[in-house]
Amino acid sequence: MTGKPRAHNPAAPSGNMIADSALGLVPETLASYLHYNRMIWEEGPLSPAEVEVARLRNARRVNCVFCKSVRYDIAIEAGLTEERVAMIGEGYRDSGLSAREKLIVALVDQYYDAPGSMSESLRAELDAEFSAEELAHLSLAIAHFSGFSRCAVALGGMPEELPVMAISLPDG
Amino acid sequence: MPQAHEFNQSVPALAAARDALRASLRQQPHLPGAVLELCRLRLAQLHHSAADLATTEYALPESRRGALGHWDSSSLFGAAERACLAFAEVYAMDAAALTDEHADAVKSHYGDAGLVALIEALGIFDGAIRVNLLWGEGDDR
Repeated sequence: MTGKPRAHNPAAPSGNMIADSALGLVPETLASYLHYNRMIWEEGPLSPAEVEVARLRNARRVNCVFCKSVRYDIAIEAGLTEERVAMIGEGYRDSGLSAREKLIVALVDQYYDAPGSMSESLRAELDAEFSAEELAHLSLAIAHFSGFSRCAVALGGMPEELPVMAISLPDG
Repeated sequence: MPQAHEFNQSVPALAAARDALRASLRQQPHLPGAVLELCRLRLAQLHHSAADLATTEYALPESRRGALGHWDSSSLFGAAERACLAFAEVYAMDAAALTDEHADAVKSHYGDAGLVALIEALGIFDGAIRVNLLWGEGDDR
């Protein structure tokens, strides 16, 4: 990781966290990116707290310091607590996370470790716990969060650590 | 359990938004469509995703598609394409392993906005490939 940003941010801040990042240098994709991001959180069958479990596990896998430090306020309102966030770490299987939350973490790990060779047992567990709509939404959410976290890492300028901070969804 | 081809039916609104984002990527002026397609196909190769390798999002000469696996020793790829392919290969393994030199090489051809467009594209392509692998036929190894 590098502490030096590899691309500059837009010259004129807009007040939108994503538009004011280096992503704002590609305005042609910005509106659709922001819209898609909001749909991931607001339009799906999963609660924001469940979506946040996927996002935070992804943040750990990518080791995106920024992503790890953020908590979306809608997830907190939906029941996410720091106690539960701490359970998303390596010992999640033996934690107090729900069966659904543990499977969300397992799917994130499968996405990174071996997306092309999911075991029949994990498939069966996912199928028993989630609807097809939920699994489709969750999979696209994981892919979206992965792209964002890896973007943040690849662009550089990441500090060594950040305090936990609650934020709202960027407008889109 | 959704199959890859059923995703659009399971979450039609979200799939449409994802498709719109992908379409906007094709409309940005900072990176040529050919470079995006070369990087998408290279990611598909690295992930052993036959399904993604079988698709065409931007027409390329068959000779260049065929030589992509050994782009670093092929004369069919220019310096700008090589910079982006090198960046894509490291991105696929570990974004944290990318160096300032990788980024500078891309920026020397396409500027800061080109680098950002490339990183954004790689995230979208890599994500789509992994999701296809999760719910499709698996990898081709």
